[in-house]
Amino acid sequence: MSGAVFERRRDIPLKRDASGRYLPWLIAVMVYLAALALVSAMAMTKVAGQWQSSLTGQLTIQVPAAPLADAETEEDNTGNEAAVNRVMDILQATEGVTAAEPMPLAEINQLLEPWLGVSDASASLPLPRLIAVTIDTEGRFDLGALRQRLRQSVPGTTVDDHQQWLGSLLNLAGLVRLVALFVVVLVGLSAVVMVVFVTRMGLAVHRQIIELLHLIGAHDAYVARQFQWHALGLGLRGGLIGLACAGLTLFAADHFISQLEETLLPTLSLQPWEWALLGLLPLIAATVTMLTARITVLHSLSRML
Amino acid sequence: MVRFEEVALSYGEGPKVLEEVSYAFAPGSFHFLTGASGAGKSSLLRMMYLSLTPTAGRVSLFDQDVASLRRAERAEMRRRIGVVFQDFHLLDHLTAIENVSLPLAINGESDRTTRQDVAELLAWVGLADHLEALPPTLSGGQQQRIAIARAVITRPSILLADEPTGNVDDRIAIRLMYLFEELNKLGTTVIIATHNESLVAQFAHPVLRLASGRLTVERDFLGGTGAVGQMVEVPHGGEVT
Repeated sequence: MSGAVFERRRDIPLKRDASGRYLPWLIAVMVYLAALALVSAMAMTKVAGQWQSSLTGQLTIQVPAAPLADAETEEDNTGNEAAVNRVMDILQATEGVTAAEPMPLAEINQLLEPWLGVSDASASLPLPRLIAVTIDTEGRFDLGALRQRLRQSVPGTTVDDHQQWLGSLLNLAGLVRLVALFVVVLVGLSAVVMVVFVTRMGLAVHRQIIELLHLIGAHDAYVARQFQWHALGLGLRGGLIGLACAGLTLFAADHFISQLEETLLPTLSLQPWEWALLGLLPLIAATVTMLTARITVLHSLSRML
Repeated sequence: MVRFEEVALSYGEGPKVLEEVSYAFAPGSFHFLTGASGAGKSSLLRMMYLSLTPTAGRVSLFDQDVASLRRAERAEMRRRIGVVFQDFHLLDHLTAIENVSLPLAINGESDRTTRQDVAELLAWVGLADHLEALPPTLSGGQQQRIAIARAVITRPSILLADEPTGNVDDRIAIRLMYLFEELNKLGTTVIIATHNESLVAQFAHPVLRLASGRLTVERDFLGGTGAVGQMVEVPHGGEVT
């Protein structure tokens, strides 16, 4: 292979083309959108993981309130307390349950403060009791059997393993991820179509020069090389601009999110490999641009004399 | 080397530009191709450098029917042919030295290694002081010399020149003709299309004339060392072989 391959000939004056001025900006927009979509997908994956890990191995048992008539006859809601004790006994005897803790009455009163004010509502109102249970997911825990025993011992008791709403949330997170990846693919396809158009325009503008190169003995690959290296430069420049803009946007968004309190929004802290993937975007964009230009040129020239 | 057999050419539905052209240019021969403007000289040359396909008949180069060539083979064949275009076809954004080195670059040779040879050739055609000049800044004659230097830089097997001395004075024209003769002595088959009768008269080479689309031998070999061509006999109504 001769050195000429590695020397950048400029037989076709592509740098003067209008495409050279606006293509990097279009690529920049594409990379910007792709970067944000990727970060969204990564953040959603992270949040879904956090939700899943925080709720896996957790059960919430709701013990029904004692009937009001009973409550009136007893001074301190002891009927309800007795039911809670029976449930606790069953839990302690259940294999795989590592911890169980009823929500303290004081905490229940505190939760009701926004509606009832400071009061001893739990003593005068028929309120259900909640028990937070931690189970060993690795162990032999039988949720069905526990439900059965609790229903028999304290009718009306419900066991919530959070899977129903967690499943919905995870489905939603998965959907958001899919949409984000679809956006990335769509952006990539748009970039390809754009580069095809720009390359064909370049072929039309420089048709005479290309014909001359052919008459002097140039293979199609020689012509394609000039287009592909030019496209690589434009793609890389556009990709870096897009990534820089995306970085600024993410920095601003992270700063904004960090100002919020008690938020459910995910933080934008990414893993090193995720940063690496974002950093690769300009290279990926440049490579796609280059290959698209090359294939377009070779395909178009194969139909010329 | 170059062989035409019953070749005819017309552009679209227009009249025939060339008709029943049958001639074989022997390897190492030197021919002038003359004829009035519009007689078809440039069209005949274009078929030789594979820019034009005949409407009928067969054109062979290096004993290969050009119609049967694949795309990559056409490119390889073109590398063995040097062409001086009538309108130069220089690349305006490249310097004189870059224009001349273009065929070498296409052949895969590095600009660095060929620069000295290219500079010497440009000096030989009188452009030593214009190596880095862009074509639009040069006169027509200077541009023509760059075009000639580009055509001969690879020492092609065939040199086709379309009015190569049309824009230069007589002194430069003679000098350029000597350059073509030197190449011819090295084995290059030279075919020069020109309507400069006085120039043709000064060199002892066969002269072909195109008139009314037909090719005739106006002057046969007058001496010297070059080979000659000959009219090709094609069996009447038969397939050319």
